Amino acid sequence: MKTKPIVLSISLLLMSGTAMADDDCNDSVANWQPRENLREKLESEGWTVHRIKVDDGCYEVKGFDSNGVRAEASFAPASLMMMSWEREEADDDDQDPGKWSGKNGQDNARRQIPGNGIVKGRPTVTVE
Amino acid sequence: MKKFVLAFSLFTALALPAYAQARDVTFTTELQSYNGDGAYLALYLTDAAGEYQGTLWVSGKKSKYYKHLGGWARGSGLNPAEYDGLTGASVTSGRTLKITLNLDDSLIDNGYEVRVDSAVEDMRDIRADVVAPLTTDGSGKPVSGRGYVRSLTYDLQ
Repeated sequence: MKTKPIVLSISLLLMSGTAMADDDCNDSVANWQPRENLREKLESEGWTVHRIKVDDGCYEVKGFDSNGVRAEASFAPASLMMMSWEREEADDDDQDPGKWSGKNGQDNARRQIPGNGIVKGRPTVTVE
Repeated sequence: MKKFVLAFSLFTALALPAYAQARDVTFTTELQSYNGDGAYLALYLTDAAGEYQGTLWVSGKKSKYYKHLGGWARGSGLNPAEYDGLTGASVTSGRTLKITLNLDDSLIDNGYEVRVDSAVEDMRDIRADVVAPLTTDGSGKPVSGRGYVRSLTYDLQ
């Protein structure tokens, strides 16, 4: 039996799990810097900070980054090092409901066929 | 003989699903007016004992927040295979989400319940905001929510 490909696959799977888990911050609370420090640091770098909150042990920042891109990023609360950055999509979660509804209120849901076995075919979704 | 078994298995696998009866069901979820961001919602099926059976829809695109939909997160194990193709944008205050799905007839009048978990950023998470038995009698009758959901109505077609 060829075990090499199996071992390789399992190793890759485990490695990817570790990489995903690293998004959380594990700084001791005693070492946390005030969020105002992060705000000042980011604004000096050109960010426009809308909000800073705590999520999964990280400071989570929403705003526009130094390139003017609307973004959500997380920072380690002790070192203020950036842990993750992602472009904040205009069609999700925030204040402008008109943007996340497509034509005639049709939701821009991902369009692949569901695979969980309960739902058959593609759902039709609208928001009114 | 082997060929016969193979051909018969293939025929069964392809032909039998065509006999399974399914119908379209529209789920209408009306949200309360509240002061906050868009709500994350999970619509899912449980059996009468509350055991998770499957996902119908998840509103809210960022999977890192899915853990706040407590009952659904626990039941689905947050396994992406459970919700692939069944996600869309979060739903803002006062709006109504309508989803039409094709469901197997065996899920109706058989003790299954539709549940909605809801969560809004910086606000309370509501597990089992709505619980509604999936029955022919219940079709078209709104069921009140106890959190961000004003009502859930399903219509069997």
